[in-house]
Amino acid sequence: MCGISGIAGFKNIAVPLLDSIRHLEYRGYDSCGIAILGLHGIEVRKNIGSVDEVNERERLSEPDGKLGIAHTRWATHGGVTKENTHPHLSCKSDFALVHNGIISNYRELKKELIKEGHKFYSETDTEVIVHLVEKYFAPSKDTEKAFIKAIKRLEGTYAIAMIAIYEKDKIFCAKKESPLVIGLGGDTNYIGSDFNAFIDYTKNAVVLDDDEYAIVSKDRYFIKNTTNGETVRKKITEIHWDSDMAKKGGYPHYMLKEIYEQPQCIINASQVDKQHIKKISDMIMESKKTYLIGVGTTYYVSLMGEYQFSSVAGIFTPAISSDEFKNLAHIDKDTLIIAVSQSGETYDTLNALKYAKNKGAKTAAIVNVMGSSIARLVDLTILQGSGPEICVISTKAALSQMIILLMIAIEIAVRNKRLTSKNKIEIERHISNLPEIIQKVLNEKSGLIHTIAQKYSHINNWLYLGRGKYYPIALESSLKMKEVAYVHAEGMPAGFLKHGTIALIDENLYSIIFMPPKSDEDLYRLSSGSAEEIKARKGFIIGFHFGDKKESEKLFNEEIALPKVPDVIAPFLELVVAQLFAYFTAVALKRNIDKPRSLAKSVTVA
Amino acid sequence: MKALILAAGEGKNLVPFTTTRPKPMINVGGRFILENTIKLLKESGINVINIVVGHESDKIVQYFERGADFGVSIHYSYQKKLSGIGDAVYKVKERFNPGEYFMLIYGDIITSANIFNYTLHSFNMSKEPVASVCLTPSTKMFGNVYLDNEMKITKIIEKPKKGDLGNYVLSGVFILPSRFFSVLEKTKFNMELALGRLIGEIGLKASIWEGEWIDIAYPWDILIANKIIMDSWGEATISKSAHLIGDVRIEGPVQIEDNVEIRSGTIIEGPSFIGSGSFIGNNVLIRKYTSVGKGCIVGYGVELKNCILSGNSQIGRLSFIGDSVIGNNVDIGSGVMTINENLDRSTVKTTVNKKSMDTNLNKLGAFVGDDAIIGSGNTTMAGTVIDSKIKIPHHYTYPK
Repeated sequence: MCGISGIAGFKNIAVPLLDSIRHLEYRGYDSCGIAILGLHGIEVRKNIGSVDEVNERERLSEPDGKLGIAHTRWATHGGVTKENTHPHLSCKSDFALVHNGIISNYRELKKELIKEGHKFYSETDTEVIVHLVEKYFAPSKDTEKAFIKAIKRLEGTYAIAMIAIYEKDKIFCAKKESPLVIGLGGDTNYIGSDFNAFIDYTKNAVVLDDDEYAIVSKDRYFIKNTTNGETVRKKITEIHWDSDMAKKGGYPHYMLKEIYEQPQCIINASQVDKQHIKKISDMIMESKKTYLIGVGTTYYVSLMGEYQFSSVAGIFTPAISSDEFKNLAHIDKDTLIIAVSQSGETYDTLNALKYAKNKGAKTAAIVNVMGSSIARLVDLTILQGSGPEICVISTKAALSQMIILLMIAIEIAVRNKRLTSKNKIEIERHISNLPEIIQKVLNEKSGLIHTIAQKYSHINNWLYLGRGKYYPIALESSLKMKEVAYVHAEGMPAGFLKHGTIALIDENLYSIIFMPPKSDEDLYRLSSGSAEEIKARKGFIIGFHFGDKKESEKLFNEEIALPKVPDVIAPFLELVVAQLFAYFTAVALKRNIDKPRSLAKSVTVA
Repeated sequence: MKALILAAGEGKNLVPFTTTRPKPMINVGGRFILENTIKLLKESGINVINIVVGHESDKIVQYFERGADFGVSIHYSYQKKLSGIGDAVYKVKERFNPGEYFMLIYGDIITSANIFNYTLHSFNMSKEPVASVCLTPSTKMFGNVYLDNEMKITKIIEKPKKGDLGNYVLSGVFILPSRFFSVLEKTKFNMELALGRLIGEIGLKASIWEGEWIDIAYPWDILIANKIIMDSWGEATISKSAHLIGDVRIEGPVQIEDNVEIRSGTIIEGPSFIGSGSFIGNNVLIRKYTSVGKGCIVGYGVELKNCILSGNSQIGRLSFIGDSVIGNNVDIGSGVMTINENLDRSTVKTTVNKKSMDTNLNKLGAFVGDDAIIGSGNTTMAGTVIDSKIKIPHHYTYPK
């Protein structure tokens, strides 16, 4: 997803233009740029990083001009480089263009244009559009005609905005399948991927439909059908909502939106570059030691990785919390560090990586933000492709990271001959079924989780218990509860309970136990034993389990019974339940869900 | 945008109150349900309202007339034979233009905040048909709504077979295109099938409501709805013309309307409501979640707790009314006691539509229909239903 915007005004528009991409940043923020038409032609400023970072380096609001376009990008495939950042210029710098979407026939077009002498600077599909316009402008010297001719050559999806030195007060835009709206401000008109681009300036907007193009000036605009050139009359829509609500896509909070995005994120995670999975597996096999590092949620993700690597791949790869890394790890040039970070900017993890690198270690990372500091620092980056995660509480990013670590574990297991390629295919099939099962759980259990969360939202202390792979899940789940609901929850291995903590248990202590499926026999038996220990002391216990209701009634005070699934994906399902449990508890307690007190999305300080 | 409110249903499960009035004319938080709905619609900028009336329609038409007193314009359609929601919706077809969107509202829902405004926001974002959804403990009554990751509804299962499902349910507020009428024609006015068809052909987006919500189905739901409304009050408002004589103590968000007279020694705990023209005698204790309707008379030393007096009712001295709903124009004598719990602390059972039903509530008093008379000295069992116009004689201990 990317965001585009543009402004045609009567005075300098650089500041509102910068604002517009700031407001679109939720659509993506790994690189951004602007193009402004000034007295000496089109000035482009762009670079990689968030809008504020790029602004600091490039001073985006500096150029003078009354006409401009802008872009903010989120790469899921392909490199984040300054060259690939929009806007793109034609050979003579007489046209500048931004684009959101995918041009599927760009290779043919590019070949054709190169043959005709056009010079390309980037690897993007977008750049062909601006050269196409340039090509068709040459004979006719008519920008509109050239624009239409170019558009008609495109296959795929697009929302495009373009400026030209020949038209001092016109933004040319076109839409097909990617969103595009025009904002009407009286003496200044705007365009944007959505209303957020200009909502601070005007509430009146016109929504473009597919196969329409528009020419927007400061005080007028017209819209035509791309195919037949006929003028289209459009209703002006008055915008009634605040921009925040729009960004959430109608969900009450980003956290719930992102929980619901998890099925798609797992699909994306399971489609990460196979070469990267192979490469990182090579690195693990070649190293004498491998450490998994992360901090907060990503430490628990790493811990989950440690369990997966041990149980599936048969190798021991300790997980270390990044902040304690220096105090624990022994590093030499045969050591590999695999870092996990959503933002790729986490200070503690970055610091640990730098420390390890200085000592000659090899490094790799699983990150969600391409072009981030960690991604630039390490020898190999796996991009998890979860899309922007806005809620400070990580849900979809964490689950995707766990899936990617599992896929690496499977790859190594095959090499270690612990899995046949037939087993591997079977596990991969289980993973590919997971999105649908999660969707089903969301759609059939949310109400039950909500009811239990509401009923016990007054409880101030929880124990979260799990054994084996369910232990990191219990830890991560307890962190969700602490972060979003400000309710104390302590994650603990269920077997650890009887060595001390059990003294706390009476009818006033509330626990959640993460049960494995019955097919995981030993673990199931031991986990049931732990639940019984609590029950015997009159402790209150909620069971997340895969068993039958009747059997479990004796064991638990409350329960969430989940559909029966293979062992390998079972823990992930319970994590989703725990995310919702924390979310609904926070809703009941009226917490500031997307921005909990004292927390920031990426912790970039020591 | 125009609204369409369904208010024709008979509400059999809400006897004794629906014997004399339609469901939306039940009083909660000092107002009729329908009055509350219209007020919230007006606040959302919706001023043109169509109401489908049927059962006891006069009660609605006489009270709201053409809507002038409420700042809206009301048009009524009549559903003479009560033949389902789909049929009721279709009655209003002529009132909407082709291509127009309208808000469809079930007339028996109560929420903690303005659900109509919220649904309108959701609609304005997508300009697609929208259904408000919310979470309830069970989807048995309301049907399980399935969502995809873009909040589009993929299917609605009206009566889930498995008992342990729980997800979003339809909360009774929709924004639909006038094309929906032709979908209703194609599905023989079956609302369930029509919504299914709408999902397939046009699409239906969910608007997630996270506030409190209740569909008033049973008499005890009236008390829950009353609490939901009163919990949303932030402050006390006392009319200038209210006359508080001597030492009257008021705590928390208490609403006191015009020309109320309250005598010395009375304590009112908020949230509570005292409707216009009511008289509250000396040393009355009004505890939380009490709603005294317009023109009531509450005698000396009465205790009221979590209860609704709909209006024009009298409570004689030294009575206790708790966890109860009292209809309109009810006369309760002195020293009447509504017992509100079972000795063994078991949940209270009551009669619904001639069948015994467990309310799952530990405390529940009596449900008294309009125009009933309860003589002095009577004591009512927890969960008692007293029908409309019933007359219970005084209860003497002498002569026997």
